[in-house]
Amino acid sequence: MAYSEKVVDHYNNPRNVGSFMKDTPGVGTGLVGAPECGDVMKLQIKVNLQTGVIEDAKFKTFGCGSAIASSSLATEWLKGKTVDEAGKIKNTDIVNELKLPPVKIHCSVLAEDAIKAALADYKTKWIKEGAAAASST
Amino acid sequence: MDHFQVFGLPRRLAIDTVELQRKFYELSRLHHPDFHQAASPEEQARTLEASARLNTAYRALRDPIARVEYLVRLEEGRDTKEGATVKPKAPPELLEEMFEIQEALAEAKVGGLDEAGRAALVAPRDRLMVRLEQENARLVGPLTQGWDAAAPAERQRVLAAMKEALATRAYLGTVIDDLNDALGESLEGYVTHRRH
Repeated sequence: MAYSEKVVDHYNNPRNVGSFMKDTPGVGTGLVGAPECGDVMKLQIKVNLQTGVIEDAKFKTFGCGSAIASSSLATEWLKGKTVDEAGKIKNTDIVNELKLPPVKIHCSVLAEDAIKAALADYKTKWIKEGAAAASST
Repeated sequence: MDHFQVFGLPRRLAIDTVELQRKFYELSRLHHPDFHQAASPEEQARTLEASARLNTAYRALRDPIARVEYLVRLEEGRDTKEGATVKPKAPPELLEEMFEIQEALAEAKVGGLDEAGRAALVAPRDRLMVRLEQENARLVGPLTQGWDAAAPAERQRVLAAMKEALATRAYLGTVIDDLNDALGESLEGYVTHRRH
């Protein structure tokens, strides 16, 4: 099975590899895994607490080329989006962009799960405190 | 006909494997092609099919963990579509551990494995193997009994717990293999290096 050019590009030059400290204000962390293939994917967003815009995103994935490409692409897409917009990213968008074959669709599902987990983590950690901080000023 | 029905068994997980084997031999003789040589070609084809089905059923049921895997598949097949798409998830603390191990593994691959590096992989490997044994014990012990004792309304909950245990087990197995591969390969590399 041949990888598409875009997958190869993301695999060879992954964007936004790295991590943020979990307790930095505005950071949401999603850690997901696929038991069948042993993949683990960590995806983090850094949200501006005033504007709700994702200012930065990072990932670290241990897995196949498609899993790495899916999460690399996800971080690119996340930057500059609002939290609400980010929640609308679907795995099918990733499949279309990277031209993933059917056997690799689960990699895009993993990336969508990671985005959702990061957003959920951001919300539970910072939304209440952010609102409290905003109302106290 | 499901694998339990092949042996005339109810859909329960606790199975007397000695009795199962006895029944398997009995049915094997019954379906053995040698005893049906005089039969019509259609009859012979049916016998062959029954014989194959029996073998598959026996393989799925004789091992207590394969039996749980089979039961989960069987129950999901009957489920609504939404039920079947609920994917098993590994517990969060396991994911943290997997991530750390994969990081150590990646470092070891880049830096090569000295003695300390090997130790850093052997320790988690051994820890995961203990965990794998625990997961197996949970599947063939409490979860097997839990399924057999569950009222119909409780079955989904037991099924979900079994799925999670199977997912955890699969995850552990994959990563243990990865660690063993790394340890094996680097050992060869190490020996070669010393020879030169």
